[in-house]
Formats: sequence, structure tokens, C-alpha cells
Amino acid sequence: MNAAITVPSATTQVYQVFIRAMPEQIWEAITNPDFTEKYFHGARNEYTGGRRISKGPDGQLYADEAVLEFDPPRRLVHGWRSLYRPELAAEPTSRVTWEIAPQDGGCCLLTVVHDKLEGSPRTAENVSGEGWMMVLSGLKTLVETGTPMTG
Amino acid sequence: MVTYSLGVDDDAVFRALADPTRRHLLDHLYERDGRTLSELVGEQPEMTRFGVMKHLRVLEGAGLVVTRRSGREKLHFLNPVPVRLIHDRWISKYAERHVSALAELKTELEESA
Repeated sequence: MNAAITVPSATTQVYQVFIRAMPEQIWEAITNPDFTEKYFHGARNEYTGGRRISKGPDGQLYADEAVLEFDPPRRLVHGWRSLYRPELAAEPTSRVTWEIAPQDGGCCLLTVVHDKLEGSPRTAENVSGEGWMMVLSGLKTLVETGTPMTG
Repeated sequence: MVTYSLGVDDDAVFRALADPTRRHLLDHLYERDGRTLSELVGEQPEMTRFGVMKHLRVLEGAGLVVTRRSGREKLHFLNPVPVRLIHDRWISKYAERHVSALAELKTELEESA
């Protein structure tokens, strides 16, 4: 037992959620900035020219990293470096993988793996818990009901 | 891999959380994520390997634990999303009602004053 560990410190984080929708709808919700701004902390995420550009509500640059795999509507892999806080921006680029796996009964399993966080403990802490959880529950609500989550 | 026709339901999550050993396992994964079965067995010395496996299977069935292969190892990760969904569905709903009841009371008192 290491008593010093009090915060999540893994170098890989895995999140999963079942969404009652077609893979194409989920893919659209992930890659269309008009959708992402409704659940991704207000950020408009765009995948263009091999880059993932994320901009905040006032147009400030949240992220600008390489898209490593773009395979609609199943798999999306991109770099992650948070530019919205200097101490996070100073850490090395980590990696985010989105997988959409269709299930029986018109339902998909969406998995997000955030890894390569070995050198980025602050980023790991920043995105864990509330971070990805809020994004995924918000995405599920938006896709299933057509309206963003309130509160 | 277990497949669900309509995803994991609330019942499975509540059932999984109703057991203290399973809550301990989730706490161990919260402290350090991505652990092997052997590591988790080491955290539960009073329990057999088979017992821990059984509990992990229930947690997996509820979507609270996700496993990924890394080389020859099978790693267990805490998936907090179902807890968030329970929160959204059950907790914030009643908390909001509580808040709006207080807001109504305030309006009523102020109007009658």
C-alpha cells in the first residue's frame, strides 16, 4: 500500500457509456462543433486538415493537436494537450481514443480511453472524474433526447 | 464480453453498489486505476481470488468496471459514468425539487409580508 496516493494517478483512464442511438449520430455529436459546444464544456471541437482544433465560448484556443486516426463512424484517435491552463499546456501531449461499438437493440457502447498520461499528472487529474464523466453523460443526454443537459 | 440490448440499467448499478466489498474494490481502483486481478486480490486479504473475481464480474456487468488488455495482462479500470448517470437521474432531480420548494416558500413569504 502506498499511503501517499490520494488522487487518481493512473496513466490510462477508461470511460464507457451505452447510448441509445446509431453510430453515425454519435459520430456526428463528437465531430460537429455545433453539437460539442452543447456538452463539451462549451467548446467547439473541429476535426479538419488532420488537426483537432478546440475553441472555447469566446473563441480562445483550448486545443490544437494532431488527429491520428479518423475512421467514421467507429474510431477516432487524437492528441490531447489542454491549452486553457498554462500548467497543463506545459505537460507533454497525451492521447484520446474514441470507439463506437454497435450493440444489439439499436444501442452503442461508446468507450473513451485517455492514455499516454505518464508525463502529464496534472492533465490526468484535470480530466479525471468530473471532466470526462460530464462530457460523456452530457453527450448521451444530447444524443438520446436531442436537448442538452441542464444544470 | 457481455452485451446488453438496451445498455446497463439503474438496477444493476444499485445492486452492484449495495455490497461493501464491491464498494471497497471501486475505492481501490479510484486510488490507483488499471490494476490486475492479483493486485486487487492483494487489497482484499480476507477474500479468496475466486470471491474477488465474482465481485468484479458484478461490477463489470453494471458497467462500473471496464477491463482492457495490456500485453498479457488484463487491467481493471473504474468507469465512473454510470454513477454520474444515477446522480443525474436520481440525485440532482430531488435536490432541484428541494431548491425550487425553498424558492417558492421565499416568494410566498415575501408576497404575504
